[in-house]
Amino acid sequence: MAETKTKYDRQIRIWGEQGQTALEKASICLLNCGPTGSEALKNLVLGGVGSITIIDGSKVEEGDLGNNFMVDESSIGQSKAKCVCAFLQELNDAVKAKFVEESPEALIEMNPSFFSQFTLVIATQLKEPSMLKLDKICRQADVMLVVARSYGLTGLVRISLKEHTVIESKPDHFLDDLRLNNPWPELKRFAESIDLSTTDPVVHKHIPYVIILVKMAEEWANAHNGSLPSTREEKREFKDLLKSKKIALDEDNYKEAIDASFKISASRGISSNLRKIIDDSSAEVDSASSDFWVMVAALKEFILNEGDGEAPLEGAIPDMTSSTEFYVNLQKIYQAKAEEDFLAVERRVRDILKRVGRDPASISKGNIKSFCRNARKLMVCRYRSIEDEFNSPTLSELQKYLTDEDYSIAVGFYILLRAVDRFATNYNRFPGLFDGAVDEDISRLKTIAVGILSDLGCNGSTLTDDLINEMHRFGGAELHTVAAVIGGIASQEVIKLITKQFIPMSGTFIFNAIDHKSQLLGL
Amino acid sequence: MIRLFKVKEKQREAAENNNGRAPVKKQSPGELRLNKDISELNLPQTTKISFPNGKDELMNFEVSIRPDEGYYRSGKFEFTFQVSPTYPHEAPKVKCKTKVYHPNIDLEGNVCLNILREDWKPVLNINTVIYGLNYLFTHPNHEDPLNHEAAAVLRDNPKTFEANVRRAMSGGYVGNNTFSRCIY
Amino acid sequence: MANPDFESNARWRDLDKLLLRPGNLVNENFEPGPQLRSDLQEYARVLVVGAGGLGCELLKDFALSGFRNLEVIDMDRIEVTNLNRQFLFRLQDVGRPKAEVAAQRVMERVSGVNIVPHFCRIEDKEVEFYNDFNIIALGLDSIEARSYINAVACSFLEYDSEDNPIQETMKPMVDGGTEGFKGHARVIMPGVTPCFECTIWLFPPQVKFPLCTLAETPRTAAHCIEYAHLIKWDEVNSGKAFDADDPEHMQWIYSEATKRAELFGIPGVTYSLTQGVVKNIIPAIASTNAIISAACALEALKLATGCSKTLSNYLTYNGLEGLHTKVTEFFKDKDCLVCGPGVLLELDTSITLQKFIELVEEHPKLLLAKASVTHRGKNLYMQAPPVLEEMTRSNLNLPLYDLMDKTPKDVIHITGMVSKNDKKTSCLRKLRVVFKGVDVVTEMDTAGGA
Repeated sequence: MAETKTKYDRQIRIWGEQGQTALEKASICLLNCGPTGSEALKNLVLGGVGSITIIDGSKVEEGDLGNNFMVDESSIGQSKAKCVCAFLQELNDAVKAKFVEESPEALIEMNPSFFSQFTLVIATQLKEPSMLKLDKICRQADVMLVVARSYGLTGLVRISLKEHTVIESKPDHFLDDLRLNNPWPELKRFAESIDLSTTDPVVHKHIPYVIILVKMAEEWANAHNGSLPSTREEKREFKDLLKSKKIALDEDNYKEAIDASFKISASRGISSNLRKIIDDSSAEVDSASSDFWVMVAALKEFILNEGDGEAPLEGAIPDMTSSTEFYVNLQKIYQAKAEEDFLAVERRVRDILKRVGRDPASISKGNIKSFCRNARKLMVCRYRSIEDEFNSPTLSELQKYLTDEDYSIAVGFYILLRAVDRFATNYNRFPGLFDGAVDEDISRLKTIAVGILSDLGCNGSTLTDDLINEMHRFGGAELHTVAAVIGGIASQEVIKLITKQFIPMSGTFIFNAIDHKSQLLGL
Repeated sequence: MIRLFKVKEKQREAAENNNGRAPVKKQSPGELRLNKDISELNLPQTTKISFPNGKDELMNFEVSIRPDEGYYRSGKFEFTFQVSPTYPHEAPKVKCKTKVYHPNIDLEGNVCLNILREDWKPVLNINTVIYGLNYLFTHPNHEDPLNHEAAAVLRDNPKTFEANVRRAMSGGYVGNNTFSRCIY
Repeated sequence: MANPDFESNARWRDLDKLLLRPGNLVNENFEPGPQLRSDLQEYARVLVVGAGGLGCELLKDFALSGFRNLEVIDMDRIEVTNLNRQFLFRLQDVGRPKAEVAAQRVMERVSGVNIVPHFCRIEDKEVEFYNDFNIIALGLDSIEARSYINAVACSFLEYDSEDNPIQETMKPMVDGGTEGFKGHARVIMPGVTPCFECTIWLFPPQVKFPLCTLAETPRTAAHCIEYAHLIKWDEVNSGKAFDADDPEHMQWIYSEATKRAELFGIPGVTYSLTQGVVKNIIPAIASTNAIISAACALEALKLATGCSKTLSNYLTYNGLEGLHTKVTEFFKDKDCLVCGPGVLLELDTSITLQKFIELVEEHPKLLLAKASVTHRGKNLYMQAPPVLEEMTRSNLNLPLYDLMDKTPKDVIHITGMVSKNDKKTSCLRKLRVVFKGVDVVTEMDTAGGA
């Protein structure tokens, strides 16, 4: 459908047709459709997610009209899930929108298998006990979980799942894969075919910097017992050498070569991040291994064999000053090498699949190709269960946060967001929900917060009275703008998880709407 | 915080009674900066500038260059300058109105001058651009061509190139292209 | 007088927690209570500039944050490509003015809120139109439009005789911008925090390919597309203006770019890329717009009520690799021509332009030689080039007061040379000129006019 493609044009430019297809296949479950949940879903419905199911047992009250755009006066007294669902359906009729009028807490308690039908669950405004149960359920069923909470001028977003692997992490800045100090025979031969001392000024100023650097690096190495510039002094000398080869002032290719000269000192071999991935125990594959880990196993073999310590060549080169002919030829040389590496990896993938008893054709050529192109940028994200984090947080980190001024408000809110849930368990309401009994609520909240800190092993640590007062002032309020931020962040993380592109957040994001000095806490 | 809504409300009423301020002509930051550039122009002998919309409308102006040396001496070449309100964040848009046989200016009047595109920086000014244009006439360069044929002739046969330039400037044909006279 | 009973308080159950209760992490002028909410509803007037991805969100966010008097200005009509994020628009709205549809949709859903749409260019409005608002929220995607609104908002700013900004004249702005998974939100309090012009360097100029690369050594698909767009179009369709919104024009560019790419053996020209390059399309998604707009609206609520501290003053958000947010406090340029105070000069009405130019050369705060003088777009005297010098020379003997249309106080700009460490550099300065003995209505000195 041409119109659908046009409608999604601005986002397909970010995550491509493949990412869009993944979204359109995904089935999302939302728990609680207050503003935080409604806003999160709104962003996903607009983007064309496959289906949504809203779980909420409450009826629309007048107070909901003050913070939730998805309900209006005609909704009062009706099922909130139904009203929100109807509005969201209006936004995009390509999305299958359903609702269940039932409390999420009850569903978690009574019907845990309900959740296994979804790709991902977004749990909003869920109190701690239910959240811990839901986390277990989702992990067991291999359903991704995103937790979002808005509370006054704070809130949090976190991801919970065992493992998330990313091939297309699409980082903003990443060193090109040019192999300037380690050219393969075809690149070497091409470089040799070009004469840097040509007297034709047009040719001279159109030799791509890649060729200049390959040749000059070799020249340098020959004159320095095979080593490349490493000290600051040598690097400057190398730049001066490049400068001396210019025959006119305005030679942009030489300017680019000088700017890129640091690339010849790029270390050979793979990054520590990639080393960790190929050394991961998941790379010992069997029939139950995911495609990703099968490909990692093949990659590991490739690096040890054909790759000679290197990952498959990426194959793309950046634009650079050059004649069209030099550039197009250079591009072909890089692409040919990338293709050769890909074929080697593909053979290994097929062999491994056979070895573990899977259909050798079960991973598509396209996926293997994409894997090879992104081999240097692979990401594996693992998340502790929420219960683990709560029971045994990384104490050194926690102590660092508690004493670091930049983190003090964020970590304070982290503790207080847990404290208000305990308060609610004890007193059946949030602190400060009603006017009056202010001092009593505040001192109870403080006691609980101090209790949590000591449970975590931070005896003697305390939070500022100002922050505790502030948490009390919030009285459990769900402000629309805070909900829109928290819901927005949650939906952005959901998109990254579903499209398997970009890198999802790690740890717990604590939103600080007071001065916006929000933080990610890795506990 | 503002805390002034009521004050504002009163002010607004008062302003309405007073007919408010006189209507104000707005001057963009780009216009101010351009004024500065213009008031500091130090033009070479070869160059004249004119402001077709008068002394208060400087954002669109014309520059004529009459090279006194090189292949193009005694020709007269007119350029239009269009300056945007976000100047100097953005380079001025310059076009050559006179059809010219030149390796770095095409027959549509597009000019290949690095500081007008990839190398523009806000510290540059109108004076730099005008000097750049003058330089193009004294040093036409076959290495960065916009007019491919002219560049090839300049490279391979400067004598023919010179003759072609003369022919074009006197209003003749070069190849299939006819030029208007620009020698006076 | 506001009537707190005109609607049930129950609706503002959540917002009231913030507006009615005292706190310690709030603005020093915060005065919690029901009156604050009703003042917000009755007196706060907000202009939303742009009804696109950010504007739609902003209108919703304001309506659900207790604001009731909103206006929105946008010159665009709804397109299909807006629908993945501009949630107030439906397929059947395509072709209708964004401002009108957005205003109508929000009013339909949030009772009590009043939104006046303006379907026009921002430059079409009188400057005074903008003075009518307490806060201006910018949901724009161009530097030019931001710079324009910023200059307008700063033109209302007045300084006292000690060069301190006068609070009543400040027109606060909140500004948002997004690109893919990244965005920024900022608070501009003219005279206090840097204005858009103080930090224009934050926006890097757009990359432009050299024309000779396009003509002679194309290497990428984008080069082929720009060749068709910038060179080939004029060559073939001489005189006909290119219109990026005309699908036939775009198709023509695409097919020319394809031919060129084939000729040079360059891969990658697609229709989508052609549109992207020619229209300089910035990818945009709903989630980032929602995050950034909500942050802006929340800051506006804080500015209006003092219910919390404010963002000081620039927030960046990046969700591309993990999640990174950062607050940076930028500092204003005290000599900024747009928001700075300028130098205050008290003059006799009799002073001629010639004498005035001599005066600024000797004035200890200026020492500016060979001044050219501009008043509100009128060039009173230009030192160069000769053609302008001649046209303005006759003004030299006239009184400056007359040349300024007998305005008792106003801003003028001068450019000329100053000596710094024995080196002459050129410089552009803003002056606040006040004529002695002329009836000035208020005690304030206007600083605007940039």
